[in-house]
Amino acid sequence: MLKPLLVFLVLGPLVGLSAYLCKVDLAGFLPGLVKGMEVLRFFFPPDWSSLREMVGPALVTVLLAAVATPLGVLLSFFFGLAGARNLSPTWLRSIARTLIGVERALPEIIVLLLLVAALGVGPFPGVIALAIGSVGMLGKLFADAIEELDAKVLESVATVGATHSQIIRFAVLPEVMPALLSNSIFRFEVNLRASVLLGAVGAGGIGFELQKAMALLEYERAMMAVLVTLLLVFGAERVSDYLRRRVLDGGKLA
Amino acid sequence: MLNVEQLTKKLPDGRALLKGISFRVARGEFVGVLGASGAGKSLTLRCILGLTQTDGGTATLSSNDGQTFELTTCKGRCQREARRRMGVIFQGFNLVKRLRVIDNVMIGRLAQIHPLRSWLYGFTDAEAAEALEALRRVKMEKYADRITGSLSGGEMQRVAIARAVFQKPSIYLADEPIASLDPSNSLAIMKLLQPLARETPVIGVFHQPEMTARFCTRVIAIKHGKVVYDGNPVLSQSQLEDIYGDELMQVLRPASAPVVDTGILATPYISRVEETAADLLAKQTT
Amino acid sequence: MNTTAAPLPVLSCVPPSVVFRRRTAIIVGVVTFVTAAGVFLNFKPWMLFTDFHHLVRLADEMIPPNVALLWKKTALYQSVAETVAMAFLGTLVGGLVAFVLAFVAAKNTTPHPWLRNAARLGFGVERATPNFVVLLILFIAFGFGPYAAMIALAIGSVGMFGKLFADAIEQVDPAPCEAVASVGASPFQVIRYAVIPQVLPSVVANGFYAFDVNMRAAIALGVYGGGGIGFELQLAMKVLRYPDVLALILLVIVLITGMERVSDLIRRSLLRSEILK
Repeated sequence: MLKPLLVFLVLGPLVGLSAYLCKVDLAGFLPGLVKGMEVLRFFFPPDWSSLREMVGPALVTVLLAAVATPLGVLLSFFFGLAGARNLSPTWLRSIARTLIGVERALPEIIVLLLLVAALGVGPFPGVIALAIGSVGMLGKLFADAIEELDAKVLESVATVGATHSQIIRFAVLPEVMPALLSNSIFRFEVNLRASVLLGAVGAGGIGFELQKAMALLEYERAMMAVLVTLLLVFGAERVSDYLRRRVLDGGKLA
Repeated sequence: MLNVEQLTKKLPDGRALLKGISFRVARGEFVGVLGASGAGKSLTLRCILGLTQTDGGTATLSSNDGQTFELTTCKGRCQREARRRMGVIFQGFNLVKRLRVIDNVMIGRLAQIHPLRSWLYGFTDAEAAEALEALRRVKMEKYADRITGSLSGGEMQRVAIARAVFQKPSIYLADEPIASLDPSNSLAIMKLLQPLARETPVIGVFHQPEMTARFCTRVIAIKHGKVVYDGNPVLSQSQLEDIYGDELMQVLRPASAPVVDTGILATPYISRVEETAADLLAKQTT
Repeated sequence: MNTTAAPLPVLSCVPPSVVFRRRTAIIVGVVTFVTAAGVFLNFKPWMLFTDFHHLVRLADEMIPPNVALLWKKTALYQSVAETVAMAFLGTLVGGLVAFVLAFVAAKNTTPHPWLRNAARLGFGVERATPNFVVLLILFIAFGFGPYAAMIALAIGSVGMFGKLFADAIEQVDPAPCEAVASVGASPFQVIRYAVIPQVLPSVVANGFYAFDVNMRAAIALGVYGGGGIGFELQLAMKVLRYPDVLALILLVIVLITGMERVSDLIRRSLLRSEILK
């Protein structure tokens, strides 16, 4: 039984160190848990009367994601083209891939904070932050998908005398379209959740309502906002799953 | 008309792959290019198409509309104009699998429409009707709306030919067009290419001497990067041995009957390959 | 050829004009929707140009980044360590809990079908709740700082990985399980000897992926008050020390990219050394 022992020997110190750094207070865990439970009591029953006021912000949150996602997809498409080895000169590919990598490493919230610092609060920085945020994930996926295309097909279209852009339109786009659509729909889901989180930091919408309620200690109202959020997220998940299945089963073409 | 003179291609370490290939293809000809693996047949074609850089020599295309293109040196716009006048058929069909058959055919004329137009609205209904005509020639018009990926190998190759036909080229180039097909499909494709050659010259790289013997008007053989034969499509046993060397047995397809109705090599399944194929060939040429 | 040719003889396929009309309709629909939504949101895309100078001004204040901060302020190293520790512990604890709960949430190992649905619902609800809500509750329970943030990350991991692990368990090949059961093993033994070996590679792979995700989440939670480098960053922003902000952002990028590489390396050497049986 050497293996589990080895695992413990390696993980043990790491866990210990991490616990120290996180100021883990094992003694205070149980009391903390109890206190947490007590606080939870304040959240119920949820304040149904505030539901009407939440519809507007909920719509804002959804629309933020709905506007940001197509913009992000468009942007990512160009990054994807630039980042593909088989379509793009080496220097351009390196730049594109590096930018994509940098963006992926930045949590969206930082992008939003920067934009808010420059442009103030509101939907505009929110949309831009989400759109830029999509580039990290979608840009990489698109570039990878394009690189996996059969080079012979691209070569074959080139031999009829097609220009670079025609090759993209007639050979690259159709082949890559299902992956493009599927990932974009998934990204909408991600952006919706992000939109809620960003709302709390200034982008508006249901996230903002939630944060406001918590700050004012109106916990039943906050619970209502959470319920609305749950509804939005579950709804988006359902719709997204359905649409993605339709696309991948051989739906729309370029 | 295609005129190839002294085409050379070297590897970075100096070894020569093509050592001065020269030949002509004129109107009405169906030229078959034979040779052992690695002899340089497909490489020659790729050099002509500009898919590979050459180290010397020229390949001149005189198109039907009176223009001349120096294929080894032209780049960019000139290369696109030249390619527009060459209809190419590949071994792997190389069609865009997610598009419909009719769309793949229409791709043939991409060079003839403005790129802006191709992004905005693509092709017109009139052009689609012409594409259907091309499909009719290869007997695939019923498949026009099908997704290309759902077709079989032989069907896809016919679509590839339709695309080349739709292009209205001055010459057809085929790189082992039947190598991936079973015998009956191979025959069908050769039967399509032969009448095509009467109006527009066809030059094809093949691995099947019995096919070129039957369908081509002329055969060129390449060995170790040089043209060693240029003439009558029917080759004798010794000529074939000279070209193929040890590969001869695989090339003559001793197995799987009844192969085709070529009448040349309707060979039944044979277990002792070495002797019998040679015997048969001896029988044919006497 | 006359491109405005009248109806053509029976085209046995969908003509390009029809395809074009359909496609344009879709594009126009999407554009209209996005524009309408934008108008509703008061989203003014031209602001990008009119207010561009704000971005330039911000960039101007941020450059050159105060990279000296990185070696002057040694407290930063503790912050970085804090963030990594949060992500690590959160992934570990959350992963363990998720692993155990996944057996309840998997069709083939659950004691009761309704327990399975309850577990799956629980995972979904957790995933859908914004994690700053969880964090705020935890702040009340455990005070500000990395302890609460770590627990928030752990809970978040349960939501994320409970589902993934449960799916992996459900996709296990039943044959080895039947084989082990047939020699008279108890359900726990079946799990130990037939299910776990099959699921382990995917669990480990997901674990590393979870760590990557949690690294980013740790930074985000830090911004809300959870400590670590995220907290430093929002602090620098509050006091308008923008060169510091850029330096910290660069640090974040280096940190996350670096962690990704390290975790990738460890994962690959783990797979190679076959500690996973």
